[in-house]
Amino acid sequence: MDSFKVLAEPRRRQILSLIWNRELAAAEIASHFDVTFGAVSQHLAVLREASFVTVRKDGNRRLYRADEIALGPFKDVLETMWAKTLSNLAEQIELGEGEGH
Amino acid sequence: MTEIVVEQRIAAPPSTVYRYLTESDRWKLWQGSDAQLDARPGGVFSMVMGNGMNARGQFVELVRDERVVFTWGWIDQPGIPPGSTTVEIALSPDAGGTLLVLTHRSVPDDESAMQQMGWRHYLPRLAIVASGGSPGPDTGPA
Repeated sequence: MDSFKVLAEPRRRQILSLIWNRELAAAEIASHFDVTFGAVSQHLAVLREASFVTVRKDGNRRLYRADEIALGPFKDVLETMWAKTLSNLAEQIELGEGEGH
Repeated sequence: MTEIVVEQRIAAPPSTVYRYLTESDRWKLWQGSDAQLDARPGGVFSMVMGNGMNARGQFVELVRDERVVFTWGWIDQPGIPPGSTTVEIALSPDAGGTLLVLTHRSVPDDESAMQQMGWRHYLPRLAIVASGGSPGPDTGPA
């Protein structure tokens, strides 16, 4: 699967955002989503195959983390995307406050 | 929702560029490994990228040598369903060539950066092909 296709799936981008600056086990990642553990596990496998995540063994846990360097030009794309989502959210909250809620 | 605007200067007249936007055999020279275009209002727009992603939509408006409008989305990808966004490509004469302005409307915010990256990769390829060059094999936007 090529990089663009790997990242065209919104869920895979959401997973990357969770493990952008920290390590999480698959179960912890899955707890953020309303889909089966199996589905999350498959997404992680695709991300691993693309080298977009690294895995570290800690005892019997496997910890996943986004590999910003391997993401190459997609790193900026993802960060831009998330910054925009955050600023939209902030705007909505401000609008809400302005309306006196 | 986000509106993406990407401009591209092309060293070929609008009448030449227009053919690369409306003829299946020419479209796939700059984007995708296959394209099926029925370039008339209501006609199908379908383009398969080298990675298998299939963009599908319908032509909405065509003005010869000036403008092409079609809907756009991905089959089998939840981010942008087919028909949910609109691409307008406007051509105008510019210093002996063409100024192409692509406007992609109604793109979900969290899809916009990926789509923009795609167009920024493909429009320069269109510019090369339309002016008689070879852009080489398409290895995707990154």
